[in-house]
Amino acid sequence: MAQARLILDELKKLGVTHVLTVPDNSSKALLNLLWADGGIQVVLVTREGEAFAIAAGLWTGGKVPVVLIQNTGLLETGDALRGTAMRMRVPLLCLITYRGYAKLAVRGLKVTPETVDAELLSKAGLDSVAVLTEPTLKAWGVPYDFLHADADVLRIAEAFRKAQNLEQPVAVLITRDTT
Amino acid sequence: MPRDKSFWVPGIPSSSKRSHQEVTFLTKRELLEPLARLRTDQVVITTMGIVRPWARFSNHPLDFASADSAMGHAADFALGLALAQPQRRVICLNGDGSMLMTLGTLVTIVNAGARNLILFVVQNDSYEITGNQPIPGARSVDFSGLAKSAGFRRAETFDDRQEYERTLPEILHHPGPVFVTVKVEPGDEEPLSRRPEESALYLRCSLAESARGLRRALGER
Repeated sequence: MAQARLILDELKKLGVTHVLTVPDNSSKALLNLLWADGGIQVVLVTREGEAFAIAAGLWTGGKVPVVLIQNTGLLETGDALRGTAMRMRVPLLCLITYRGYAKLAVRGLKVTPETVDAELLSKAGLDSVAVLTEPTLKAWGVPYDFLHADADVLRIAEAFRKAQNLEQPVAVLITRDTT
Repeated sequence: MPRDKSFWVPGIPSSSKRSHQEVTFLTKRELLEPLARLRTDQVVITTMGIVRPWARFSNHPLDFASADSAMGHAADFALGLALAQPQRRVICLNGDGSMLMTLGTLVTIVNAGARNLILFVVQNDSYEITGNQPIPGARSVDFSGLAKSAGFRRAETFDDRQEYERTLPEILHHPGPVFVTVKVEPGDEEPLSRRPEESALYLRCSLAESARGLRRALGER
């Protein structure tokens, strides 16, 4: 588990100005802290695809946005992510909470696009969104890393720098609830 | 005086009662020429069937086409710009089919408190660049009513040129977010090609280059 305070401190060090989000369980502590702190503007969106277009506008206008969404929302964003942040080559850090990661990890499953099928997606005890998360990011050309615990918080700055260098969105997958 | 123009939406059978209803509307020139005349340092975001017509009246460093992008995301891109540049007005000329794709954005705009955003919906009741197929709710959907319900500070609908021209200066200075529906004639624009024959530089370069051009222009002002 990663402490929300450490994540927030990292975002502030990077000069993040806006967080675009749809709330979820795993980001609850971080979002509550963002609101309580007030140093970074939180923009609530109605659907995750909006977040990428708004982020593209914020970046074009000179700001430093971050997208904070659940992996279910990531799957919703397909065309918006493709047509805005990717096509405009927006350097964009995406914090994506990884629903279903624990069930996937406990089985030691390494999912690739080739191993995804209807049988796997409908298997009891597995969360199908977790099955699709990493294959989707790979297919969409979004590099990613993991944030499992406090010690991984430095991955945020690394991903941020990678996004700047590559001029594109880069994701950090938050595998456990923030605390 | 409203002019007596009538049309019916392609794709709706002539037996439909709606095809007999007469409606008035503006031409794209009547929509865009007064806007281009009054425009000073506002950012103008266009999309779909309004991209090239706007470029016939304007070639400004703060023009940007949300085209060859993702349909439905011009208004939220404009919202991002408005939040980034609160001292500057942002005008978005959105399509009706595009607006329908992201109606939730109306709520997001109001909730984000974008007082400097003016969102137009250019309503021709059809998906113009794909061949004028009717939008869902053609001739019945009330975009300004939706915007009012979402909490826009001002939301108006125009189908008369003189009324539009008379009200436009005030609209451009009204505290936002402001929503404007303009009923326009059906057209026959094709998708933006981003090839050298496009009229303006920002329509010829890639979307990524165009975004960087706008970013530079905003940074210099």
